[in-house]
Amino acid sequence: MSGGDRKKRACDRGQGWEEAGAEFYQESYPAAIEADLQQALQRDPSHIATLLPSKKSRVATAKRIRNDTKTTLRRRTSTRSRGTTTSRRMSTNIHDAAVSMLPDLSENLSNEERTWEEIMQIKAMPVCMAQKIQLKNQLQSATKLRLQGFEQLKWQRRKAWQQFRIRMKEAYSKMELWNDSLKTIGGNFGMGIVAYFLFIKWLLYLNVLLFAIIFLFIVLPATLLDMPEDETCVNSNNSHSISCCSELYWNMTQESGNIAGILEYTLLFYGAYSHMTYTSGIFFNLPLSYISATVGVFIFSLIVIVKSAAKSFKQRVVENEGQFYQYCNLVFGGWDYCIHNEKSAAIKHKALYNEVKAFLEAERLEEERQNRTREETTKLFLMRLFINLIVLAVLCGCGIFIYYIFEFSFNQISPQIDETNITDSHLSLNLSLNRIVHLFFEFLPYMCIVILNFAVPSLFRYLVSLENYSPSFVIRITLFRTVFLRLSSLIVVLTSFYRLIVTEVKDNECTNNTSKRPLCWETFVGQQFFKLYITDLFFQFFMTFFINFPRSLIAKHTENKVLRFFGEQEFDLPKHVLDVVYLQTICWLGLFYAPLLPLIAIFGTFVLFYIKKFACLVNSTPSSKIYRASKSNAFFMLILLISFILFTVPVGYSIAEIEPSKSCGPFRGFKSVWSLLIVVFAEFPDWLQSILYFLGTAGFGVPAFVILTLLLYYYYAVSIANKHMVTVLKNQLVLEGHDKQFLLNRLSAFIKQQQDQNKYHQEQANELGTFS
Amino acid sequence: MGVGKSQFSEEELQAYQDLTYFTKKEVLHAHQKFKALAPEKVGHNRNAKLPMSKILQYPELRANPFGDRICKVFSSSQDGDCTFEDFLDMMSVFSDAAPKAVKAEHAFRIFDFDGDDMLGIGDLRQVVDRLTAPQRLNETDMQQVLQYILDEADLDDDGALSFAEFEHIIEKSSDFSKSFCIRL
Repeated sequence: MSGGDRKKRACDRGQGWEEAGAEFYQESYPAAIEADLQQALQRDPSHIATLLPSKKSRVATAKRIRNDTKTTLRRRTSTRSRGTTTSRRMSTNIHDAAVSMLPDLSENLSNEERTWEEIMQIKAMPVCMAQKIQLKNQLQSATKLRLQGFEQLKWQRRKAWQQFRIRMKEAYSKMELWNDSLKTIGGNFGMGIVAYFLFIKWLLYLNVLLFAIIFLFIVLPATLLDMPEDETCVNSNNSHSISCCSELYWNMTQESGNIAGILEYTLLFYGAYSHMTYTSGIFFNLPLSYISATVGVFIFSLIVIVKSAAKSFKQRVVENEGQFYQYCNLVFGGWDYCIHNEKSAAIKHKALYNEVKAFLEAERLEEERQNRTREETTKLFLMRLFINLIVLAVLCGCGIFIYYIFEFSFNQISPQIDETNITDSHLSLNLSLNRIVHLFFEFLPYMCIVILNFAVPSLFRYLVSLENYSPSFVIRITLFRTVFLRLSSLIVVLTSFYRLIVTEVKDNECTNNTSKRPLCWETFVGQQFFKLYITDLFFQFFMTFFINFPRSLIAKHTENKVLRFFGEQEFDLPKHVLDVVYLQTICWLGLFYAPLLPLIAIFGTFVLFYIKKFACLVNSTPSSKIYRASKSNAFFMLILLISFILFTVPVGYSIAEIEPSKSCGPFRGFKSVWSLLIVVFAEFPDWLQSILYFLGTAGFGVPAFVILTLLLYYYYAVSIANKHMVTVLKNQLVLEGHDKQFLLNRLSAFIKQQQDQNKYHQEQANELGTFS
Repeated sequence: MGVGKSQFSEEELQAYQDLTYFTKKEVLHAHQKFKALAPEKVGHNRNAKLPMSKILQYPELRANPFGDRICKVFSSSQDGDCTFEDFLDMMSVFSDAAPKAVKAEHAFRIFDFDGDDMLGIGDLRQVVDRLTAPQRLNETDMQQVLQYILDEADLDDDGALSFAEFEHIIEKSSDFSKSFCIRL
């Protein structure tokens, strides 16, 4: 021990502490923190900074842990420092850091509930198990007040609830789907990819719920309730009344013997549902239930998606300054601790290395961009413009191509239907050949769409590499182009349906024969979506197992560079997300016309999980890009939300505007599906009607709009103020930090000076001593 | 799990359940995993102390660049050797149920190589090095990365990250609690 320290201590206590031995010192010194300070100063005065309360990790945690138990907070804060020291004295053999956390045991008598709470808090402490057990035993053996009456009851209930939660957790973990698969995927590819599979799982559950709604309100009543028979066609004098058209349609479906015909009049499609109201015994309005369930499903989907998107959006807002934290995020959150495979670990190392490099590169690019000459800028701009034009042209070309293919295939099918209907006695060989051709033409447009969806994105990927964007932007722009391609092909399909369907149907016809509108167009549309769904799913299956799998085999077993280049594939997340979202969109689109489509979608998503798992684990090598779990989740939801909103519009339009077919479905005879709701509305009691009517008038609408706008503005202002506050506080924090730094430097300089001085004095004293 | 049951009494399991983020069943499951690392040793003494080299054979730890640090942080004897209880603590912190703050606390200790309660330049350099190994960033790149990290996180400009600053970053990083996870 140097003399300076002793002197300092003496100053602190003002007594002859110099004689005190180290042990005695530690035992009886009341403020242990000061002892720490002394010790550290002995070693190195400049280390004083590490002793600041804000730099003490464990203490900080301990504080928080205590703050968590709200009931104990008030009492605790006053006794905290004392508590820490008592426990320190109690178990000197346990190492410092851990002990400083031990809660106060001896001072106060706590009641049972509080003790129990404290025991539950132990698990959050960073000490080893032996100490935890010791702590728990101490807490349990300490004398405590028994709770009386109601409090006791309340505590028992809390305890039981905790137990119940643990039980539920256990049961849930047993039920949870695909746990092992997710673990394997995580071990090989990291959490970003796991997030994708969780997204598929989420969609599966969503589809189950959608199906449950539809099943309960549409399918179950339709099967259980024996709907009253429609009046027969003979009785009515108009040969093109609803009943006659229905009969015509019914006969047609029975006659055509092919599979599509059999499927046509099943509960799978819109056409089979009755338009009658069930009145014997219980009252059940199937058409009303049909439309409400559909609307309900859409609203439910919207709420669920928005809720999920908002959750990830909130995260994004929290890391709003995220760009500034990218390095920290990468370094501290970069490693996926679940990786358990050496090969993946090596790839992950490489990916992290690349990512760091990419960040630095982006920084440099940014600099370069600022230093770019005018000439280069113009050149680049022209290049980008040109490529964007090409992309636009390709998209338009695809749209037109799909449109004509549809036209072509529909023209090919229609005469064949007549042919097969007329000549029943054809040779069976001819017939089966016909059927194959028929089937081919039927599926031709969908095959074209799917093939385009596979071919065009790779073209886009090539084009984007010419544009010289920053890497993150490249991913985004390719993705949006691909989304556009997929969605545009769906839009084209919808337009071709629209042209077919929206025609005037005269009173004396069941359907418009000149425009070849099918007898039951809703079923027709439902079938198209059904086919699209099945084709796409099949194509996923086919591509994964029969194209990509051999490719990956080739890549694994060959040394040839060219072959390897063609065979190797990375798990390209945006593409796979699109696959899933696309299927889900088809499900929503077709839902109204094929109520059982969610059931198919349940099956589809379930199979898709395994297809994608195979594509991920067997076919692909881990991606050299890093996908962030949080970001990718937000991104999935965004894509899903966009496509959902985009495609509720056509469904909404068809419900509100297009005339349902006369010969089938729950809405035959109405001008539009919506008019049914108007009829129902007219049956409401007067007061309800007037209220609802009032809600629709400008008298309500304008004030409501104004109030909402004001609220919006208010929240906007609050958020701006908060943002400002954040920057102010941050600046203040930085300033405080500087002040602290300054003071610490001065302090340590002062201490050093003091030490030197003391040394000097002592030496002088010694010298004097030797002299005298 | 007849084997597991015989090695633990009901009270012990209850204690473990109270003191970790696991249910009793998961505790037993963790013990199975622990036992698999050294069947003969753990078979005799359920709380046998396994050397760090044995613990590092746990797949997730083997692949982890900070495997040895993790062992050291959780080892009750501070030398990396772990008993079952240490292992249980480790898995409990890495489980899904553990809150972010607890994870952050341990992550800080894992990254704090020199144990001075601050993440200084040396610590950060080691972290980055271990992350990118076997490739190494060249010196200028490394300097730049460290500079950026400190720019982002070091609020009081003292050239090192304190726990408060580290926690601040972790609060803002939604990836952290997802990636700082080992499924049993």
